[in-house]
Amino acid sequence: MSAPMGIGLKFNKINFLSLCIGLFSLTIGVLNGIEVDDFFTSDHTNNWAVLVDTSRFWFNYRHVANVLSIYRSVKRLGIPDSHIILMVADDMACNPRNPRPATVFNNVNEQINVYGDDVEVDYRGYEVTVENFIRVLTGRLPPSTPRSKRLLTDEHSNILVYMTGHGGDGFLKFQDAEEISSVELADAFEQMWQKKRYHEAFFMIDTCQAESMFLKFYSPNILAVASSKVGEDSLSHHVDPAIGVYVIDRYTYYALEFLENVQPNSKKTMGQFFRVCPKSQCVSTVAFRTDLYPKDPNKVLITDFFGSVRNVELLTETISFKNLSMQDTCSKESCVETSSPKSSQQLKYADQFPMPT
Amino acid sequence: MVDKEADKKTNVYAAVGVGFVCLVVGLPLWWKTTEVYRVSLPYSDIDTLAGTKIQYTVDIIVKSFLKTSSEKDLAVLSRNLLDQLGGKQDALVKSYYRTIVKAASTEELQFLEKSASLKELDSLLSNNEGQSKPNKYSVFILPRNSRISISKPTFGCRRNVFIPEPEKDFPGVAVTIAHLVKDSLVRESTVLKRYKTARGTRNLKPDKETMRSVRFSSGYDVTLTLVSPRPDILDVQWDAKSGISAYLTPFVLRMSNYTSIVVKSQVLFFTKLHTKPKKENNEFYFTPDDLPHMINPLEAKLGSPASTNPELNFLVYVPSRSEYPLYIHDAQGTKLESNAFFSPQWGGVYIYNVAPPSPDTEGPVQHTLDMSRIMEVFVTELRLLLNFNSPASEEHDVLPTGVESIRDWELDVWLRSRCVENLATSSASLKSLAQLLGKISNIVIKDDIGNEVKTAVAAMQLALDLLRDGDLKAAYLESRRAVTASEKAFFDPSLLELLYFPEDQKFAIYIPLFLPISFPVISSLWQAYKWWRGADKPKTE
Repeated sequence: MSAPMGIGLKFNKINFLSLCIGLFSLTIGVLNGIEVDDFFTSDHTNNWAVLVDTSRFWFNYRHVANVLSIYRSVKRLGIPDSHIILMVADDMACNPRNPRPATVFNNVNEQINVYGDDVEVDYRGYEVTVENFIRVLTGRLPPSTPRSKRLLTDEHSNILVYMTGHGGDGFLKFQDAEEISSVELADAFEQMWQKKRYHEAFFMIDTCQAESMFLKFYSPNILAVASSKVGEDSLSHHVDPAIGVYVIDRYTYYALEFLENVQPNSKKTMGQFFRVCPKSQCVSTVAFRTDLYPKDPNKVLITDFFGSVRNVELLTETISFKNLSMQDTCSKESCVETSSPKSSQQLKYADQFPMPT
Repeated sequence: MVDKEADKKTNVYAAVGVGFVCLVVGLPLWWKTTEVYRVSLPYSDIDTLAGTKIQYTVDIIVKSFLKTSSEKDLAVLSRNLLDQLGGKQDALVKSYYRTIVKAASTEELQFLEKSASLKELDSLLSNNEGQSKPNKYSVFILPRNSRISISKPTFGCRRNVFIPEPEKDFPGVAVTIAHLVKDSLVRESTVLKRYKTARGTRNLKPDKETMRSVRFSSGYDVTLTLVSPRPDILDVQWDAKSGISAYLTPFVLRMSNYTSIVVKSQVLFFTKLHTKPKKENNEFYFTPDDLPHMINPLEAKLGSPASTNPELNFLVYVPSRSEYPLYIHDAQGTKLESNAFFSPQWGGVYIYNVAPPSPDTEGPVQHTLDMSRIMEVFVTELRLLLNFNSPASEEHDVLPTGVESIRDWELDVWLRSRCVENLATSSASLKSLAQLLGKISNIVIKDDIGNEVKTAVAAMQLALDLLRDGDLKAAYLESRRAVTASEKAFFDPSLLELLYFPEDQKFAIYIPLFLPISFPVISSLWQAYKWWRGADKPKTE
């Protein structure tokens, strides 16, 4: 209950800030001769997240913890479950070797159960394949796929793609059987761009030689960050002796530490996010790619990708139905019940299976 | 010796035989069986369509009620109008106007005498011409001293525009007409924006109009939600069913030929806002900065529909006792009259204040909400989200609509811009698909994909022709067919059934298979060739 209070206290400062920004944009507007009122503050209308853990087996516990932690963060920052595609390759919470069944922790203190009571996994276990992942991105799904398993984005959507698992130079291993190559991934993004399936994309990957996965990208408006450079390993952060395995990777750990301090109305930028986890903390070098992205990351809010701050417009005038009562518009002919006439047969429960006596 | 020679001969025949079978039977058989099934697609048509300029035709009839205007005046006006409407054209989307300028008929003059209001005149004139035809507009110049006098140009509910008699320079009214037609009646800029968005020229920051409206879909899901945070204190009810059938169904029916709108309603109990309103003088309020953070927590509770159509959510929130009365303040800090806001491509929220019972009242108090007010807000928002926005401005007025909420000419604007959007989307999808299929030569192209592509191409060509001829309704329906077919072809799951290797990786598959077989075959053929040379030589000697 204390969180909303905190937000309440911050309002004055934010108002002042937005006033400054408002004044600034007003001057720009006047300079360009455009009416400021014609544009929204942000140029996307919704946010989506595709969060993928590609590795299974108990000793890869940390990868599941990574992805569930990011899931928790983006959800806290406002992306609803319907806009998150969560792919988890193994069910750590129910693994027989888990000493604390039905929980997944990302910290030795075991304060936050990231497998809390409200996790919606869209693709699980052996459903997490390269094919399904590419299908989700490009939208080439069978017609029977439910809405929650689809990435229903358009040219006004920002997408966060987070991947974690075991990788090498130019590939990321899925399950134990196959891998996605950086070329395939780049082609999938190009397909998305051509079909206008994103406005801006943020690609984040925590794996060994992670940088190699985004070096092949060639589609515009993609911002990418990776936990390690080509030739470097990405390391795990710490082990939980009670669980017996490493519980989180270094880069994700420090990224989460940063995200924990972000509120939905925060003004923190992507530029600040790139400076997370310097070499002294990560051991590997965090690599990022900005050449495909037209804006300055230092001016792009982190909530443009990790949260979902929608544009709103105030409704200034409404049409009037004042002189129309319901009876006026609903004459007998036009408003007859369209539902089929009720069956006269009484409905009853079907008989139970006969039980052996 | 003879035996050896005969052996050699047999060897050679065997080698030639095997070689023959390998080359004549094996190779074509291998080629044929590993061939990828690819239906031939109309690549050249797709390329042509991508480069084709879209042209739409609009009919304008200008009728003058003025007794003073002479034949000569009308002729000058006609010429001026053509000049004005011709104007500068964007290279990709062109508008073409067919204009007629004439004096009003005696029958029409009688209507002017008869009718008491502009609204009546509007409907009389429209009914006179039978069903007023899509894409055909009449501009009436009304005399200053008639019973119905207007001070500025006014748009009717059908396809009529009324403009007052100019003070001087009668032919100069062409400028006003051209301006009204281009900016409001036909909305050239909207059409162009839709085209550009669909084509993907996205270097400019999209403006509110582009971002606000949902993109084309063959259907939309509209969900009306009543949010009741404390039903144990104030039990609010709404008669959603009759409200929808009274105020929303006419709108839905109006659109039913063009897109299907499915309307549902639900009530959420014990759902609170997660943002805390500010308090001032016993009143609670939200500033525009707070509103974006209000939507997400509410959205999480709305549930997810089964269909994949775009969804639009409209929420009524009845504040609980602890936050009553609740208002929305605009950027200047004044109370917003509508007490509602909306978010582009998502829907809207309306805060409906109901006085809660005093704390000492026993049990929940029932209250029924006024559906007509709620629907006023929702229908306005729905109009905005579907891009039926035509506000009155300082330069012109718009006659209020009835419960149908869509004026005929607005529907035309919608059809026109959606038609152009669909054509651009369809052409972009097909082009991208053709590019993909051209680049990766071992993607299987099934018959149904081929059929969808051919359907889309044919429908696009037809739509382009119809649009050029001015048959808006048919053009829209064809464009819808084209976009549905091309989307289906583009998103066909069979395009991803295999993982596609780069060509060079195929060698890695074939070499282990073919090298061990081909080596002895080729070497024995070489032996045979050498033997044949050897056998040949003595003969020539």
